[in-house]
Formats: sequence, structure tokens, C-alpha cells
Amino acid sequence: MPSGTAIAASTPSIIPGLSDDPAELFVRWQAHRDSAAREALVQRYMPLTRRLARRYGRSSEPFEDLLQVASLGLLKALDRYDAERGYPFESFAVPTILGEMRRYFRDSGWAVHVPRGAQERALKVRDAQEQLSGERGHAPSVGQLAQYLELDAEDVIEALQAIHAYETVSLDAPRPGSGEDAGSIGDAIGADDERYELVELDATVAAALKHVPARERLILRMRFVDDLTQTEIAEQVGISQMQVSRLLRRSLDQLRSLTGASAGAR
Amino acid sequence: MWGDLLARTEMAEIPNVQLNVSSHAENVLLVRQALNGLAETIHLDPLELNDISTAVSEACNNVALHAYDGADGPLELEIYVGPALLTVVVRDHGVGIHPRIDDESGGIGLPIMLALAQSVEFHDLDGDGTEVRLEFAITARAAELERALPGAPALAPVNRDGIADDVTVLTLAPAKLGRTVLPRLLSALAARAFFSTDRISDAQLLADALVAHSEETVNGGQLNIDINVRPRALELRLGPLQTGRTSELVGDGASGGLGLLLARLAESHEVRSAATGDVLALRLTDNGA
Repeated sequence: MPSGTAIAASTPSIIPGLSDDPAELFVRWQAHRDSAAREALVQRYMPLTRRLARRYGRSSEPFEDLLQVASLGLLKALDRYDAERGYPFESFAVPTILGEMRRYFRDSGWAVHVPRGAQERALKVRDAQEQLSGERGHAPSVGQLAQYLELDAEDVIEALQAIHAYETVSLDAPRPGSGEDAGSIGDAIGADDERYELVELDATVAAALKHVPARERLILRMRFVDDLTQTEIAEQVGISQMQVSRLLRRSLDQLRSLTGASAGAR
Repeated sequence: MWGDLLARTEMAEIPNVQLNVSSHAENVLLVRQALNGLAETIHLDPLELNDISTAVSEACNNVALHAYDGADGPLELEIYVGPALLTVVVRDHGVGIHPRIDDESGGIGLPIMLALAQSVEFHDLDGDGTEVRLEFAITARAAELERALPGAPALAPVNRDGIADDVTVLTLAPAKLGRTVLPRLLSALAARAFFSTDRISDAQLLADALVAHSEETVNGGQLNIDINVRPRALELRLGPLQTGRTSELVGDGASGGLGLLLARLAESHEVRSAATGDVLALRLTDNGA
């Protein structure tokens, strides 16, 4: 192996005066602790490290934190790579860097934090949804939300799913059937409730509807009898569209189980 | 193709989730949504899901980028859940395996798969593409799996004649997996059809109702769903359902609310007869009102 300085003089390099041949750089770093060579290797493999950080644990942690952990993995790989074995550095670096990120996730209780991150994102999506609905007079698309929040469409879809399905994502909804709020909505329905049109559809549904809280009954009627959109209902009732969505889901679930249409369902 | 599907279902166990999509890169999102939905049902550890999702995404990206020489073709995903092992098969019908494994253009997909999966196997399908089989050790409790995924009897898929190449075809066994998988897939496809969040929420409500109905009326153990994305519209077919029971349930004044939901949330719906049972076909739209 020729000496580093001889190579450096004759080949282009990232750092002035240094070879860009990785084999040469590895010798200079591993055998001679040449920190300039290590710096050149870090620069060379940083794109790989960034790609790995982006692909693993997408949208879970702040990217810069993840990149820092991945970079630590890269430094370990630069120390431990054995070129004598004849495998390219990448095939050694990828598992080493992934291993570092996995260990970080495990040790930092990442799995425990996932729900909190999802919760925060869900609330951001809800707020943006209300903001954009207010400005434009109709509900935004996923693409518009993603652009507004600088998130992936995939993250927005997951947030919408979480809002729809998980009671653990709190939307600060007043509990139905409790407190003054629900009572006043019940009053608002008033005598009209006796002629509730949904009732005409089916005696079983009519009987089941009695078990659905007043607020939910009102929302069911607005959606399915008056044919209002969820955003319109949200405006009239004074809650968010996400809450309308969830209240509809809950009352439909309830109707399903009460009418026995799906005994095995929630 | 028909005979091939039958042969496979007889030989092997039935996948719990089967997803057939076109190999566009954007469809890898659908694969991840299916994994997320399954993970919710079986209470998969989030760290394990992250590994699985990352590795499977790489296998699918590989198909999207390389299997059809820049064109699109079928991307087939199968997921099998065992007591301590989750197996994912990613299959294409494109060029064989070697041009891709030998690809020196800095591909990190294979090293990622090798690092995250317990085992990775490549199979050359005798000139008909490539199959990647990824196995992951999982810690989800066996009892939960048994409760969530009872053994499903083999059944041929719904007749797929006439389904265009860009349709998403989902097969679930048991049907109740649809509770967590269908709303996610439908949301993702509705987003692609430019639905507003209002209408996406409606689609989720409808997905809940459809799966609840299907759990009771599916013919055999497998529920087949195909979804076609049109401009501002989704066309969905679901079956095979027990003959007669769906007409009864979606009719006017039917109990249980499915008829009501379909009437209000879908632009149109109808029950069609097929050899294997009834198929419920419906169309969802968002006209940007």
C-alpha cells in the first residue's frame, strides 16, 4: 500500500490534499488515526447515513435527533470495518447504523412515546383542518393538509385514522350525556325529537336510538336526514369536524350492537 | 392465473392479508397501511412493526424500481401471522432476481432487509418474476393471535376478471381483520382521489359498517375487496357474501343501519350475484361541495 501523501497528491479529493479512495482513507484512519481521513469518510458515507435515518423510524422522532444517532453508528462502523474480509463497506455499515438506531429506540422508550407523538400530530391535523375549513368554507384534502403542515400525506392519513378510531387520542370532547352541554343540546332538539325521521326507517333502530345520547342523535339526524356535511354539522353544533366524525362512529357502533346487526362487533 | 391461485391455496396455508396492487412507488404506502392495520389487530410491538415496515418497504421499493424495467406490473403482498413469526412475501412477475441483487448502484435495500428480518429468501419464479420471503420474530402473545386470527377455510378469491391493472385488491382472513385494515386503505385511496377530510371520514364510517356486516355474512373464511380509484370517486366491491343476506340488509328500512349508511354515504350501490356468493358494489364520490 502506497503512502497516503503520495496518493493525495495525484487524485482529486473532498478535502484538499486528501485521497478520495475509500480503501486508502480506511488505512489512514484505522492504522494511523488520521482524523482528516475519518472526516473524509464521514462525508463520503453521510448520504447513506441520511437515507437510513430517513427510511427507518420514519416520522417518529425529529429527523435531526435520528440523524445524530445514525451518525454515531457510522463512526462505529468506520472504526470496526475490516476491509480484509472483502465485503464493501456499505454491507457492514447498514446493519451497524440500523443497530445503533434500534438500540436508541429501545433504550429511549420510543415505543412508549409513539402514542404521544401520534396524539400531537392528530391535534395538529385537527387544528389545521379547522383553520383551512374556516378559510375556504369546505373541508381540505389530505394533500392540502400535508402541504400546510409540512407532513407526509401518509402521516396525515395515520392521524385521521387515529382521530377516527382511538379514544386514546383526546380531542377534548365533552362527554356525551353528562353536564350542562349535553342537556342544552337535548333541549334544542325538543319536541321535534318525537318525530325523529330516522325512526321511520325501522322499529329496531327506533328502539335503539333511545339509548343514544341526545347530542349523538342530533348529529345522526343532521348527517343522515338533513344530509349536512360533517363540516356543516361541526359549525352548527360548535365542535370540530373530527369530533363529529368520532361521535358519528361511536353512535353507529352503538346502533350496530344494539340492533344486533353485528353481534361480534365493538 | 386462476388455476395458479387455486393450486397455491391448496398447497400452502392461507395468508391473513393479501394485497395486490400495481407496482407504482406510491403504492408502497398502501402496503404500510395494511401492515399498520394488521399490527393494530394483533397488538404488534411498535418497534417490531417499525422494523417490519422498513424492511417490507425496501422489498416493495425494489419491485417498484426494478422489477418491470421502469414500467408498472403487479406487486403482490402476502402476510402470514404465526405464534412467534410473521412472514411477509413480496412477489412480482417481472424480470428475474439476479439483475437486481447484483445491482451495484449503491442499493441499500438488500442490506436493510438482511439487517432487520430474521431471514430473507429470494426465489426465482422460473421466468415469471421474483418472490422475496421475509421472516420476522414477533413477541405478540400467541393467545391474542389465536383470538384475532382463527384458522380460515380456503376459498378461491372473488372473480377477478375484468379488474384493471391499477385496482387495489385486498383479501383478508378472517374478515374481522378488515376492522383495522380497510379504513386505512380506504382513507389512503380516498386521499389519492382528492377526497376532503369530510368525505374521508364518511369513507371510514362506511368501512366500519361494511366490515361489521361482512364478518357475519362472508361466504367462507376470506373476504375479498377491490377498490378502483377514479377522479374524485372510489369504486369498491366486496364479497363473497351469503346469497340473499346482503340484499336484505341494504334494503330500505333494513335494521342495523348499513342500508341507511349506504343510501347516504355512497353515491350508488347494488348487490350482484357471483358464482361464489353475492358481491356488494358501491361508488363513493366527493364532488367538492
